[in-house]
This record gives sequence, C-alpha cells and structure tokens, in this order.
Amino acid sequence: MKIAKEAIVGTLESSDLLVKVAPNDSGILDIVIRSEVIKQFGKQIRRVIDQTLSKLEVSEGTIIVEDKGALEYAIRARVQSAVLRGAASEELNWEQLS
Amino acid sequence: MTEFDFSAVRPEDSPQDVEEVKALLAASQLQFDTEIEVLVLCRARDRLIACAGLDHNVIKCVAVAKDFRGKSLSLRLGSEIVHLAAGRERFHLFLYSPPHNRDLFQGWGFYPLVEVPDLVLLMENSPIAIKSYCDLLRLQKSPGNRIGSCVLNANPFTLGHLFLVERAAADCDWLHVFVVREDASVFAYEDRFALVAEGVKDISNLTLHQGSEYIISRATFPGYFLKEKATIDHSWAAIDLLLFRAYIGPALGITHRYVGTEPFDAITDNYNLDMKYWLQEAQSTKEPISVVELPRMAINSTPVSASAVRRLLTEGDFDSIKNLVPATTLDFLEMKYSTAAQSAEGAELK
Amino acid sequence: MKVRRSMLFVPGDKPAMLSTAFVYKPDSVMFDLEDAVSPREKDSARLLVFHALRLPAYNDIETVVRINPLDSAYGLEDLEAAIRAGADVVRLPKTDSANDIRELESEVERLEKQYGRPVGETKLMAAIESASGVVNALAIATASPRMIAIALAGFDYLVDMRTRRSGGSEPELFYARAAVLHAARAAGIDAFDVVYGDVNDDEGFLREVQIAKQLGFNGKSLVHPRQVDLLHRAYAPTGEELEYAKRVIAAAEAAHRTGLGVVSLDGKMIDPPVIDEAEMVLSRAYVA
Repeated sequence: MKIAKEAIVGTLESSDLLVKVAPNDSGILDIVIRSEVIKQFGKQIRRVIDQTLSKLEVSEGTIIVEDKGALEYAIRARVQSAVLRGAASEELNWEQLS
Repeated sequence: MTEFDFSAVRPEDSPQDVEEVKALLAASQLQFDTEIEVLVLCRARDRLIACAGLDHNVIKCVAVAKDFRGKSLSLRLGSEIVHLAAGRERFHLFLYSPPHNRDLFQGWGFYPLVEVPDLVLLMENSPIAIKSYCDLLRLQKSPGNRIGSCVLNANPFTLGHLFLVERAAADCDWLHVFVVREDASVFAYEDRFALVAEGVKDISNLTLHQGSEYIISRATFPGYFLKEKATIDHSWAAIDLLLFRAYIGPALGITHRYVGTEPFDAITDNYNLDMKYWLQEAQSTKEPISVVELPRMAINSTPVSASAVRRLLTEGDFDSIKNLVPATTLDFLEMKYSTAAQSAEGAELK
Repeated sequence: MKVRRSMLFVPGDKPAMLSTAFVYKPDSVMFDLEDAVSPREKDSARLLVFHALRLPAYNDIETVVRINPLDSAYGLEDLEAAIRAGADVVRLPKTDSANDIRELESEVERLEKQYGRPVGETKLMAAIESASGVVNALAIATASPRMIAIALAGFDYLVDMRTRRSGGSEPELFYARAAVLHAARAAGIDAFDVVYGDVNDDEGFLREVQIAKQLGFNGKSLVHPRQVDLLHRAYAPTGEELEYAKRVIAAAEAAHRTGLGVVSLDGKMIDPPVIDEAEMVLSRAYVA
C-alpha cells in the first residue's frame, strides 16, 4: 500500500498509542517512536511496527508513534488503521492484516 | 459507560457554551481567545469540566476543572482535539503554554521548541518536524563567512524593501530572505511572495525562502494568557527570534540579520530592540546572530514604508505610489486596485 | 450447557479494556463496534476488535461481536472482521424481524465459506430494541438454528415506545421482558435482560437483577466489569439448591450408566426438565 495523505489514528490514553502517517516521497520509511517504556520495549515496538508495515507492503513514508504502553495487538491494529486511512483506497485485504 | 461527554462547537453557534468556557478558563487564570474556530467541550452530567480550542493549527485555551485533574481526562481531551484538527486536515499542530504545563502537553505528544522563561513555551506535535524543516533548509546552505538574512512581511513589496535587501546582499557573501506567511495581511501571501520574487530576481547571491510555520507573525501569536499588551508583544518577539536563533539560523549558517529602522513606528522599534537582545545578547547554546540596522530608504526625507503605500492605495493615489514601489509592484496594484474595483475594495483596505 | 449469566460489553475502541476484559471472568465478552464507537472511529475499532479476538486470553471465553446494522456503512465489514477473527457469536442490534436474522445468517454463511470456517460454527443473537422487535420476538428467536440468545435493549426500546424508565417496578418494561422471555423459552434459547447504566448504584443494580432472575432471564447485558461479580453472586444457588442439583445429576448419570430408562431420587421420578434445571443450577454455582 502507498501512504498518499496524512492520517492519524489512536488516542493518548493508557495502553493505547497515537499513530501518525504521512507521505514522504523519499523512498524510505522514517519511523519515529516515542514511549515511556522505550528502554524496555523500544525494540519490540519497533519490530511489531516493521512487521505490520511490511505485511502491508508499505515501503515509504513517515510514521510517528506516541506509545502509551500499548500491547502488541493494539500497535498492529493502530498502525494498520493509520496506513489504511492514509492510503488512497480503503480496501481491506484480510490476508495483509492478519 | 459515558461518564464524560465530549462535543465540538463553534463559538459563534453557542454563546452559552462560550460563557461556561470563559468561567472554566478564568479558574485557571486564562482568558478566552476570540480567534478560536472550534471548541472541544467535555461535560460530566451537563457540567463543563474541560475544554480546548483550535485556531487554524494552534491549540489554545486548554483547561480542566480542578476536581477532575488527573491524567486520563486530559489525555482524552488531547486525543479529541488532535482528531478534530485532523478532521480539518490539520496535522501539524502548535501550542503556546505557560511553561508550568510542559509535562501535561508532553503527555499529549507535544514537544518543546523554545521557551521564554516564566512566560511562554512553544510546542509542536512532532518530535521531528523542526528537524525535518532544518534538514530541508540545510540543503540550501551557501558557502561563505558572512551569511545574512532578512525577514519581510512585504505588505506590499516596496523600494524600501528592495533597498534593504540590496544593501544586505552587497554586505554579505550570501543573503537569505524569508517572507512571512501571515494570514492577517491586506495582500495574500501568494501575491506578496510573487512581488518579492520579482523584485529581487536580479540579485545573484540571494535565496528566497517561502514563509514557514516557524516564523511567527504577530497577528497569529496567541497572547491570551498573558496579562498586558507589552508582555504579549515581547513574548511574541522572543518566541519568533528564539526559533530563528536556535533552528533557522544554524541550519543556514546565518551570521547576520538585517532590519530596517522605523523611527516613527514604536512597535517596530521595540521589536528591533528585542531582536538585538534575543539574537545577540541572550544566554544561549546557539551562536549569536549580529543584528544590523539599516536606515530606511527615504524619498524627500520621508521613509518609504509599506504602510504609506497602503494609505495611498485607499486614496487611489497611484502617482504617489509610483515613487515608492518597483514597477512590478505598481503593475500588480494597478491591476488589482484600479478605479473600477477600488470603490468596492477601498473600504476593505484599512 | 453453556452458562450465560453475564455478557460484558467492552467498547471496541478502547485497547485498555479490550485486553483486560477476560480478567473479570464474564460468561461472555461482547466487543462493541456499534453504540460505543463514534462514526469517526468505526474503522479503527474494527481492527482493534479483530486483533483482540485473536488474543490467547479469549480462547476460553465466549466472544461476541456487536456489529453495526447490516444496512449501515459499517455492518458488513464488521461482520467480515468478526468471522475472520473467529468470534463465537455475532450480536445483531435493532433486530426488528425474522428477516433481519435470515439476512444476517446468509452473510455469515457466505463469509464462513470464504474464510474457511466450518459452516454453522458462528452463532447469532438478536438485540430487541423496538416495538416491532418485541412483537416479532418469537419469529426472531426461531429464525435460524444458529440463534443462541435474544436480548432486550431497554433504552432504545423505551424511546421507540415514547416513554422512559421509571425505576421501581417499571411497568413500561413488563411486556417487552415477558415477550422476549417467552420467545426465548419457546425457541429453547437464552434470554438477556436490559443494561443497568448507573454503574455506581449497586443496590439498584441488584434489585433489577433479582427481578430479572425471578422472571426467568438467563442473564443480563453488563456495562461495567464490577457488575460481573455482583451478578454471579446474585444468580448463585443456595447451598441447598446446589446440593439437590448435584444429587439429581448424580442420579441421572447413575441411571444412564445402568441403562435404566427412568431416573429417580428420594423415591420420586425425575423428569428431563428437572434434570435440565439441575444442570442450570450447577452452571450457576458461584466461583470466585
């Protein structure tokens, strides 16, 4: 999928995360993660985000994540929603979301 | 399980809500800002307990009732206003706050940009936006030891502006010119920028930059939580200049900033004093930027100023205007404000 | 038999609640994509619920998804997410007629086939929220073999009836409760009583639970985790009732083992309904 426009998903509440995506035409994925638990879980959070984006075939864009202690499943869901909102079409391909 | 009900209203549609908002703000020593386009309200059983306002891409008037101050309500408020702004295609948001609320807004995903100690803190909702902007600027860095800069409103671009820019460019290895993207000008930003571009096109050691969100115009600066006008003026200047010194200047290697003196305009005069303070004298981890004041170009000992041009425009006195502006500006003014259109627009120009 | 005393509503847009609802051990967890979620967030809540459904914590709890009505912009996609993620039950809001259920069933079957789920595995339940729903309750309850329960949604129903809750004995809910109950019993499925919205009023909640229990409701739709335990305690059989039920079951099992056609206890014949009741009593035994 291609991120065609800016989009934002999620909330700032505990156990949730706010995900902002924007197109960047640079050919790379610029992923910025802010989290209160970045030391303990930074790597995991990053891994989940990478996996999720990879399954959606997103290869470029700016992704900013404000994490409030979210579990993996919520990170997946929010990142997927953000990409879908930012993509031109909102076709759900469940294979890519599983 | 809706303990709290969130809603969004436009101030002009709900004077009753605005009254309640004013009371809530007053309890936190804040005033209502009349530029707010939309308000997010939070009610617990009809009682207003939290609010936040949006004016273009600036969040203002955030307050939570004392007895509901715990993190989670404020975070919900933050989520609501951020989503409201996103619904209006505004993703890059700013926030001016009394410095003591820094932690609260960091919880909202806002990051500090610059602070005027004890007065105001400017934050934005991205950890990387300013850095990305500076990265872009850096691509336009030019070699040299003396790198100058000018920031122009150019409302409209006059011979006075041209004079300033030509002198500054002659004085420096390179000159960077910025046009303020201010909404409250008489002339639209696109027009002002185009006139500047035309006017300076023959200056070879010059880069013209689009206005950015990091050059703060006085008109859009929210001083609603500061008590006196003088404080507001100083705070605006400080924020604008701190951003320049901390981010824009270093990205381009700027060593000097050129500005025209305005002996008859106290506001500009004060601003120039603030400029010398914040760019040169104030304690900072960033290199100082020398301020160079150039006397205004004068014709028949009258300084050439944009305000003079605007005044003449309301009188339809294109003959006098001809002496004050470059040909390209004159052509534009005549085309837009010829006698036919003038009667309709003349009233608007003041 | 599956005991259904408590069906805990969990807003589909709240990750904190989606991942912790199982802790309260409700008999069923209902992930809500309908009224709890604003239109702006229907898409994101759907994905949250899709992922939450697949959390290991929900392997052993009955999962229900309240989708948006099928004629809304969201309903079909909600259904896809639910089926794809393996939800046990789909709850249809605002069920007014048997046709609503038949329509839902047809979509569910199509999706089960599409996503490789055993056809017939996904169960259905109907929420009655209007006068039409009430008068059609029996037809709705028998509209599909997948139907496992029917619930009365008090607030919207009363709006449709142009009245409101009065507290106390509430005659305004009597007919609807009775209709839903009769429909459930005639169809052999479970009946759920209305939501009690004041989460800080335990006394009021328990009074209502007593009424529902006495009327014969299997359980209640709940909107706050603390209501789960209160409800389970209120539905718990007494020590004596429990003892008796155990004896009945033991007698039935003994009869079954020895091949006797007739079950007896204390010299009396035990009919199948009594055995069913005993099973139900056992299922309601309170476990902390």
